[in-house]
Amino acid sequence: MSLALIAVIGVALAFDFVNGFHDAANSIATVVSTRVLSPRMAVAWAAFFNFVAFLVFGTTVATTIAKGIVIPDSISLGVVFAGLLGAIGWSLITFYLGLPTSSSHALVGGMAGAAVAKAGWHVLESDGLRKIGVFIILSPLIGLALGMIFTVLIMWLFHRVRNVERLNRGFRTGQLVSAAAFSLGHGANDAQKTMGVILAVLIAEHEVPKTSGVPLWVVLSAHAAIGLGTLTGGWRIVKTMGTKITKLQPAGGVAAESAAAVTLFFTSAQGIPVSTTHTITGAIVGVGASRRLSAVRWGVAGRVVWAWVLTIPGAFVIAAATYGVVAVFN
Amino acid sequence: MDRRAAVFLIFAVMCALLVPVTDNEFRWVPIVTAVTYVLLALASVLDARSRNRSS
Repeated sequence: MSLALIAVIGVALAFDFVNGFHDAANSIATVVSTRVLSPRMAVAWAAFFNFVAFLVFGTTVATTIAKGIVIPDSISLGVVFAGLLGAIGWSLITFYLGLPTSSSHALVGGMAGAAVAKAGWHVLESDGLRKIGVFIILSPLIGLALGMIFTVLIMWLFHRVRNVERLNRGFRTGQLVSAAAFSLGHGANDAQKTMGVILAVLIAEHEVPKTSGVPLWVVLSAHAAIGLGTLTGGWRIVKTMGTKITKLQPAGGVAAESAAAVTLFFTSAQGIPVSTTHTITGAIVGVGASRRLSAVRWGVAGRVVWAWVLTIPGAFVIAAATYGVVAVFN
Repeated sequence: MDRRAAVFLIFAVMCALLVPVTDNEFRWVPIVTAVTYVLLALASVLDARSRNRSS
């Protein structure tokens, strides 16, 4: 294994780490905002379930990332390096601004931008990109619908309970389970994206055959990086997600996390890379909208949507420019 | 018309528009989501009516 390959794998794991403190904050936003766990405990809880996700889910999302965004033959060390820098650059800009954008879509935009800069538009895999594009829109909508349905179900099941204090205690415990489920889904979907990038570069450098699955050391290192990133935390985004979109009670937290977890379990099992940020935002909006539309702060939700719209083009441009610089030194 | 129901109907239309561009394998997902939003819109209208009657 060459030094350059090791360096690029290091950058991929750094991206996973950034994803951990950027996206994984979503896993704990509702737990923190409903005061079920202290921020420190919530972070540790999420990090643990991020890490163990590899025991539950396969690696189909990784395969989609490795072979479904651009033609595998167009991938080189320089493309992956520039793609990752584009994604990391965009994630850090939005992190600085406190916007819950999607590291996943930044990665898709970055890989596409670098590959197009290297070999032209024909390298884009239209089928894979179409699948990702459809679920960019669908995943928050599914999260929203499920968030609302779960909230209504909870209200319907427990509306006769008079002891609200006791009920809230029960839901606080329930939130530990739903937050764990969401973290599991996050670990499964997001860590696999880094695995996919590493698999792509290993194939490009002929370290593994084209038909190879994801090596175990890649699986373990990707989950370790995202888990460590989660431990580092992303408090600016926790604040936006947990309190600014809508005010959540423990029952709402259970509904939002369960809705997002169901969506992530489905998409991870089907090999569809989606944004965990999109999904949990949709679910939180669904919980707020079950009361009334004005319970949702649409101005904040609107800023989030703009960040989503700009993510793929933003990362695309940064990665394409970075590849231009890389190509000079190649 | 109830504003929430109108928003849900817009979401239903968005999902319906995604049906033709979705792979055959996953085409059922936007269809089911669109139908769910139509049902949520209906439920929202009924909820708004019952609130208006009781107030």
